[in-house]
Formats: sequence, C-alpha cells, structure tokens
Amino acid sequence: MNYRLICVAILPVLLSACASDPAPEEQLRLTEQALSQANAVGVLAEQSASLRQAQEKLALAQAAMQDEEYKQARVYAEQAELDARLAEAEHLTQKSQQQLAELNNVINRLRKQLGGLQ
Amino acid sequence: MKPFQPVVGLALVAMLLSGCASSKGPSADALQAAHDSFQKAREDADILRSAPKDLIRAGESLARADRLASYWGSKDDVAHYAYLSLQYSAIAQQKTQLNLNQERAAKLELERQRLQLALREAKLLSVQDQSNWLEEQMVNLAATQSERGLVMTLGDVLFDAGHADLKASANRTVLKLVQFLQLNPRRTVRIEGYTDSRGDAQENLELSRARAQAVADVLIDLGIEAKRIEIKGYGERFPVTENASAKGRAQNRRVEIVFSDEQGTLGSPR
Repeated sequence: MNYRLICVAILPVLLSACASDPAPEEQLRLTEQALSQANAVGVLAEQSASLRQAQEKLALAQAAMQDEEYKQARVYAEQAELDARLAEAEHLTQKSQQQLAELNNVINRLRKQLGGLQ
Repeated sequence: MKPFQPVVGLALVAMLLSGCASSKGPSADALQAAHDSFQKAREDADILRSAPKDLIRAGESLARADRLASYWGSKDDVAHYAYLSLQYSAIAQQKTQLNLNQERAAKLELERQRLQLALREAKLLSVQDQSNWLEEQMVNLAATQSERGLVMTLGDVLFDAGHADLKASANRTVLKLVQFLQLNPRRTVRIEGYTDSRGDAQENLELSRARAQAVADVLIDLGIEAKRIEIKGYGERFPVTENASAKGRAQNRRVEIVFSDEQGTLGSPR
C-alpha cells in the first residue's frame, strides 16, 4: 500500500477545511474590544482566571492568524471573547456583592446606635 | 513545501479515526455539561428576566453543538460550541446575580436613609433636656397657657375666606403639632373652630366646625389616632376681640387647639 498516496488523498481534504475559512478579522476585533472592556471595568488578570484564559486564547488566536490557520484563529477568538465577557460580569457581580455587605454593615451599625439611645 | 513523510500520513489517519472510535470523549462530556448548565439557567425565572439575550445565545450555541455532534469528524466543533454555550450560561448567571444584588442594594439604601433620619432625630432628643425641649416646642407652636390649659391658635390666614380647607402654608405648623403629639403619646387635643360675627350664625357655626374637622383630618392623615382628637365648633361665640374692625374680625376667625395635660386629661369644653 502506498502511504504517500493516502497522504496525498487526505491532505487536500484537511487543507480545504482551512482554506475555505476567511480570516476572522471582525471576530478578533470583537474579542479585543471585550478584553479592553474588561480592563476598563477594572478586572485584573491576577484575580480573574477567566481574564487569564481570555488573554491566553487571544494570543493563540493571533498566532493562528499569523500562520493563516483561520479556522483555529476564529475558534480561539470566539472563546476568548466570551471568557472576557464572563470575567467582566464576574467582576461586576463581585463588586455589587461587596457593596451589599457594606450597606448591611452600615445598617447594622445604625440599628445598634438607635437601640443604644432608646 | 517539503513532501510529507509516510509516517506523518499514517499518524494523521490514526488521529482522524481515533476521533470517531470513542463516542464518549471530552466533547461528549463538554456537550453534557453545556446541556446541564443551560437547563438550569432556563428554569431560573430571574435569569429569564435579567439576561434573556445571553440565555438565547447559550441555547443557540448548544443547538449548534448538538447538530454537529451527529456529523462525522466534527468533535472539535462540538466541543467549541458546547464551550460557547457554557460560557453564555455562566455570563447569564453572573448578570442575573448582579441585577438581584442591585435591586437589593436599592432597598437597603432606602432603609439606611430611614434609619439615619430616625437616628438624627433621636440624637437631637437625647442631647436636649426633654422638658426644656418640650417647653421650647410649645413656644414654637405659639401656644399660650390659659385657664383652659395649653392653647395654640391657628390664625385665619391658614384658611381661605368662607372655606374649610387648610392651606399649604399651614403645613409647617401642622407638622410641628404632629411631632409634638408623637413625642407625647398620652396627650390628647381638642380642636375648636371660631368665626367672626358677620353672616348667618348657623352658617358660621357649621363653618367653624368644618375648619376644626379639616385640621383634625390632617392630623389623622399624618398618623395621629382619631381617638386622641376632639372636635368642637363654636361659631361666633367667644370672640378674642371686637368684631367692629376688619383686623378684629380676622383675629376672631381662628382654630384653637387645646392640649390635655400629660395624663391625657382635657379641660372640659366651654
């Protein structure tokens, strides 16, 4: 059996999948936007696993773009976008949780003071 | 491009086939996880309300992953869309929690303001000597000590001529009155209406009573119990001055509020 022949038969199939994918420029733009939005609300990579994932996947997507592996680039970029959006949502939720805790503190303090005066 | 070695070709084929060989692989797990997560999110009424768009996208991605799962050689795509669905569900959940937290914070903020006001008032009371403060309040209310007890007079300017409706300019006085009654829960009041001598005596009697009733209604609206309030209309009887001049008549048109002592005992009506 001629391995070379099999190889030649399969390769075009594999490559055609890549070749038909256009460069995901728009998706990369969206992903970068999502990441800078996360940065803008104050998400820090040290504190957010989601943001770290987003950054890693964006780097992978950009590398794939360089290699013209557009399908892989799109996959990474799409995932990175959602990772970044999740990081942003997690951060905002966490902040609102802190705000609630602070409010509860203040209210408890006020109640105590009122109780002391009566 | 360098020609591929046979071994590379073999490896590729093996890789492709291995993908099909096991139906239970990472992509199946990912798909299952995405299903579970989406199902949970979809049954949450708060998520439906707070993050419907993200929920819809989670569903769309999941449907795509399901469709691809039935194709040969699309395991990576299945895993990819399952992942996207999972992330959308997670985002929907976070946004919903954020929304709930914000709603709760708005309620707590109102509570905080309410308590702060109450505390401010309580502090004010605690610094001032209670009895001194009461005295001061009575002076502020322009009350006079007479043989009938403490009496406060609401002037004619607080009503339109011939009408019984209390004007907005009376608000300040009425609020002070309410505050005083709230701080002295055992005291009661008798509200007495008076008119000048012009016009029909019977009409004057009715007007005087209606004006006293109007003051009582405002007090009740502001939370004073009705049983602490007595109403009396005297018409043109008991003028405080002569009815010959406009000035004198204006002084005679009035509502007087008679306070009981601290035990709630009112002097008997005239």
